[in-house]
Amino acid sequence: MIALAVLRFFHWADDSAVAAAIRGSTWVFAFIEVFHLLGLTLLLGTVVLVDLRLCGYGLRRQSLAAVASDALPWMLVGMAVTMGSGSLLFVSEAMKCYGSPPFFVKMGFLFTALVFTFTLHRKLTKRDAPPPPVWGKVAAGLSLFLWFGVGLAGRAIAFY
Amino acid sequence: MSLFDICQALQNSAVGTSIRESLWTFPIIETIHILALALSVGMIIMLDLRLIGAGMRHAPAGQIMGQLKKWYVIGFGTMVASGVLLFWSEAAKCYRSNSFRIKLLLLLLVALNAVFFEIVYKPRMEQWDAGQNPPAGAKLCGWCSMVLWIGVIGFGRWTAYGMK
Repeated sequence: MIALAVLRFFHWADDSAVAAAIRGSTWVFAFIEVFHLLGLTLLLGTVVLVDLRLCGYGLRRQSLAAVASDALPWMLVGMAVTMGSGSLLFVSEAMKCYGSPPFFVKMGFLFTALVFTFTLHRKLTKRDAPPPPVWGKVAAGLSLFLWFGVGLAGRAIAFY
Repeated sequence: MSLFDICQALQNSAVGTSIRESLWTFPIIETIHILALALSVGMIIMLDLRLIGAGMRHAPAGQIMGQLKKWYVIGFGTMVASGVLLFWSEAAKCYRSNSFRIKLLLLLLVALNAVFFEIVYKPRMEQWDAGQNPPAGAKLCGWCSMVLWIGVIGFGRWTAYGMK
């Protein structure tokens, strides 16, 4: 039942006018991909920045809460750019994604990373009192693992 | 021996050929090259945003620069090393690629911009960094760096696209 709905959704995306328009041009796909990479740079860059502070390896002269709140707006910009461009890339080759194990791995990582970032991770980085060093390192490690997992699995879609 | 001959020889060398023809080596190096963007360009863009006054306002630019230097040097080193290996395996193709030529030109401008900042604005940084507003020229360096790096990423992607 759910599997059928998922398949229908992928077909619907693949058959859409947007998909046809992107596929119809040689350069549009590459152009959207550039934006996907620029968004990735900003998103992963800010994630690394906050996690370096969280595990105590960088920006130690600033408080964790200050680094996190400074980085947040740009992380959101990075997310908006990667997800906007990513949706277009997905739509244009939805059926290829349907047959690609790395795509589903990537979506799993992405969902987990988003939930973790906006719940536990945000809670830890928002407080004035820094978390115990061990928890900071665990949270930073998990965050880096999840976000770089998204990137790694994403790159793998092109190879399968 | 022309520059093209050198590129062709590099591409045909044992190292170049083995990277190009192995199933996993090229994709792995390419993935490293892309994910290291976070540590290299990602950090640099956050510094640029601080310089132009659009981000990281809780800390003086000089402090951020000093504290992050170790990390973006590691990121940049990874970028250069992986990039050299990718180039090695497709040197002759790169030689013919206009996107690649533009990318190199932009990297040269990035370097000039950085050197200009180091010489003109860095020595007096202590003085202007305490205020909220960096001098216009320093801001301009931030803008240039950001725009140039975006161009480097764009033309880098385009180089790969043109070689398929």
